[in-house]
Amino acid sequence: VSRTDAVTRILFESFSAAEVRLFYAFGYAAIAVFAYGVYVQIRKYRRGAPLKLDGSLRRRFGDMVAAVLNHRTLDRRDPAAGGAHRLIFYGFVLLFLGTSTITLEYDILEPLFGIRFWHGEFYLIFSLVLDVAGVALIGGLFYMMVRRGWMKLPKLDYARPDRVRGDPDFDRPQYRREDWAFLWILVVIGATGYVLEAARLVWLQARPEVWGVRWWSPVGAMLAEAFRALGLTEHGGAVFRHGLWWFHGLLALVFIALIPFTKVKHIFTAAGSLMVRDPLAAQRLPRIPDAQEQPGAAKITDFNWKQLLNLDACTKCGRCHEACPARAVGAPLSPRDVILSLREFAKKTLESGTVPEAAELDIHGKSPGQVAQETLWSCRTCMACVEICPVAVEHVPIIVQMRRKLVEDGAMDPLLTKTLQTIHKTGNSFGESKRKRAAWTKALPFPVKDARKEPVDVLWFVGDYASFDPRNQKVTQTFATLLHEARIDFGILYEAESNAGNDVRRVGEEGLYELLANANVAAMGEASFKTIVTTDPHSYNTIRNEYPDFGGKYQIQHYTSFVKRLFDEGKLHVTKPLAYRATFHDPCHLGRFNKGYEAPRDVLKLLGCELVEMGRSRANSFCCGAGGGRIWIPDPVGAEKPAQNRIKEAAAIPDLEVYVVSCPKDLTMFEDALKTTGNEGKFVVKELIELIREAIPARLPEVTAV
Amino acid sequence: MKILVAVKQVAALDEDFEFRDDGRDVDPNFLIRDLNEWDDYSLEEAVKIKEASAEAVEVVAVSVGPEEVDEALRKCLAKGADRAVRIWDDAIEGSDPIAIARVLAAAVRREAPDLLFAGVQSSDQSFASTGIATAAFLDWPHAAVVTQLTFAPGAATAVFRRELEGGLLQEVEIQCPAVLTIQLGINTPRYASLRSIKQAAAKPIDVVSLADLGLGAADVGEGGSASRVRRMFVPDKGHAELIEGSAAVQAARLAAIIREFKGASA
Repeated sequence: VSRTDAVTRILFESFSAAEVRLFYAFGYAAIAVFAYGVYVQIRKYRRGAPLKLDGSLRRRFGDMVAAVLNHRTLDRRDPAAGGAHRLIFYGFVLLFLGTSTITLEYDILEPLFGIRFWHGEFYLIFSLVLDVAGVALIGGLFYMMVRRGWMKLPKLDYARPDRVRGDPDFDRPQYRREDWAFLWILVVIGATGYVLEAARLVWLQARPEVWGVRWWSPVGAMLAEAFRALGLTEHGGAVFRHGLWWFHGLLALVFIALIPFTKVKHIFTAAGSLMVRDPLAAQRLPRIPDAQEQPGAAKITDFNWKQLLNLDACTKCGRCHEACPARAVGAPLSPRDVILSLREFAKKTLESGTVPEAAELDIHGKSPGQVAQETLWSCRTCMACVEICPVAVEHVPIIVQMRRKLVEDGAMDPLLTKTLQTIHKTGNSFGESKRKRAAWTKALPFPVKDARKEPVDVLWFVGDYASFDPRNQKVTQTFATLLHEARIDFGILYEAESNAGNDVRRVGEEGLYELLANANVAAMGEASFKTIVTTDPHSYNTIRNEYPDFGGKYQIQHYTSFVKRLFDEGKLHVTKPLAYRATFHDPCHLGRFNKGYEAPRDVLKLLGCELVEMGRSRANSFCCGAGGGRIWIPDPVGAEKPAQNRIKEAAAIPDLEVYVVSCPKDLTMFEDALKTTGNEGKFVVKELIELIREAIPARLPEVTAV
Repeated sequence: MKILVAVKQVAALDEDFEFRDDGRDVDPNFLIRDLNEWDDYSLEEAVKIKEASAEAVEVVAVSVGPEEVDEALRKCLAKGADRAVRIWDDAIEGSDPIAIARVLAAAVRREAPDLLFAGVQSSDQSFASTGIATAAFLDWPHAAVVTQLTFAPGAATAVFRRELEGGLLQEVEIQCPAVLTIQLGINTPRYASLRSIKQAAAKPIDVVSLADLGLGAADVGEGGSASRVRRMFVPDKGHAELIEGSAAVQAARLAAIIREFKGASA
């Protein structure tokens, strides 16, 4: 035994053989409980509907590992929480891996192959790294305690907007107890580790190979010095170490055994969820398989295994709760609580030996674990929740699948029922005749080509609001004029165009959506064009992301990027720069859904406007409240509307002149909200198209020489 | 136990419609077709009775019309009708409500239901007579404008309420089989999702000819009808003009208008 060989950590020194056997028994028991828990969880997920993942598994795994290691999703909108979690995560990982190396040598490599590595320099570096890791872990945990105990962040308040005080599942104190138990157990495991280290140092202070290298464990060494100063003897250290060893060891084993049964399982479920993430979860909703008898989710087992895994991945961080526009205006919906309700429901019904009768699997209703209709209909499918979720929970498809069941049962607002019937009958939500779809072209001094009859470069998919809403028709006419003046060869589908179906699909009326999508794909199939342009982000999203599933694969651009290119190519010139102080509202379906953040801002700057951002912009843009079919459902009287909430945010910008939108529904929603919040006269709501027109005044009629 | 529901596919005017060449109806190319709104309610009432009943109740939707009427019948099937019957023969073209009622009555005899529901009226023609005329052909008890109904399948009578003028309600007991015409608002018709309409395509629609019902061409069409549409037209609109300006200007304009009407300018 060489000198360096002696520098190592004692393991079971002074333990009787019986004690060692007892410890191993506890260890195996903990592993058995853990394994059983994992089995129960996996069995639960497997009780969901099947789902075949697309894409390469290796890439999914790589993306997941990267997301876990860089913590990017945890830093977003809460860098302090991200930082603290990073300390806990890396601290925990290092401590776990470090401890694992002990087992690797002691239980595997040495007995089987006689390989020993856990001594000398390796051990010293190991000691130092683990001491630092422990500090990181405890530091991170203390910050989390401060957040929970003193900062009182609203997003960490478990009180539910879809329940009232007194309901058994109103604020779920069991979650709070679990949170604190989790934090304290980890802190105690970490702290007792240091104390244990110090006790061992005091006990073995006579051995130079221990005491001489004590500063490689700086925290333990400091504590040991303190203990000695307080009068702890070698013998006292030995006794203390022995007792504490058992306490620390058993606590750690209990912690491991409980992982699959408590919130600690997010270590695995969050990673799993990140690995199965669908980058287009909200943008491209799932089709209903032909074989499926009941459309949508009626029972918990109608969710697929991935969705059940999503439920368990939630860490209650509250980012979705904070981002949700429905929740912000007091609607009975928090995406967090939809997920947690369903998680509790799945735990109650799918973790036991046999799956209960179908009647007990009904997820619709008001009992604990069920989701109420009002909650589902409050959703704007704006994707704020999906976008911000650090662990890739996909709320929107879950909510829409539950709505599909409500639509099938006719459990919806009468006005929405009427609108769906109208869309079925006329192909548009305004109940206008198909023949009137292109009526807005009649006022133009030039003809608009019929893309069904002659080839065009650009097929303009106009959309319902831009076609029929009188205020938006003016914008539509302006855009047509701009295209005409830029000498763009464009045409429209006239009465062959139907509602694009984006919102119909998000309501949950999948059959009607299929009808509309097929009709539009067929109509576009008749036309000859190079690219599609639309002013409507809703149509843009569904044509871009969902029509390919119906055989319609096109190149499509929102007008903002199309116009940006016209400027870049010199086909449009600003002749009268504007000097407005303007703010820009990112439409959900252009921004969050399709990452079209830059083009509208670039255009605004090209026009000469001074762009002042609102607090909530780009990915964190705040929905106008019209999405997901909510434009067809009346908002509760008296309550604040999301659009009003948004206009108030804009009104806080000093000297704001123009609130710029680039979505027909936004124009309607925000002009209304401007009036109802009493901000009329302070600033105006304008479509970006209207500003472009202002900056490029119509040309004087050309005088042609005779 | 069986309830027959007589339904109609009605037509609504599209933008800028034109009349048919014979001037007696709108050109069908300018019509948007849908299930008559009243029939939505009468079908719902039948389906509600079926759903609340412990004993088996069959709901059969029946309509007189060409193939395109299948679309309306499929909607009925989607909403819960068990079966649909469509009666058609080209000779039926041009029938008035009495001739249609004669056809319906023959279909009712064939089906032998316990109750026949019809809408109070159709939104396009508004005769409000088909249901009651059918009862006359059948010589069954009947009642119009039913706003509330209590009926237990198997019972010999049904009890219903009718709304009368002056805010009065009438509660009536009627012997079955009977014909009831159902008023809007008696219930909340369910939404037929597109998926359920598609699935309803698998349910049968029996196509029945006049001969199957023991009727001949003379029983229907204009020959079998008691009335005939002579022409359909948009009445000339009267117009009003607000004369503005000073008294003299107003007087001058008024005089001009009077002269114009008298034809004095010539």
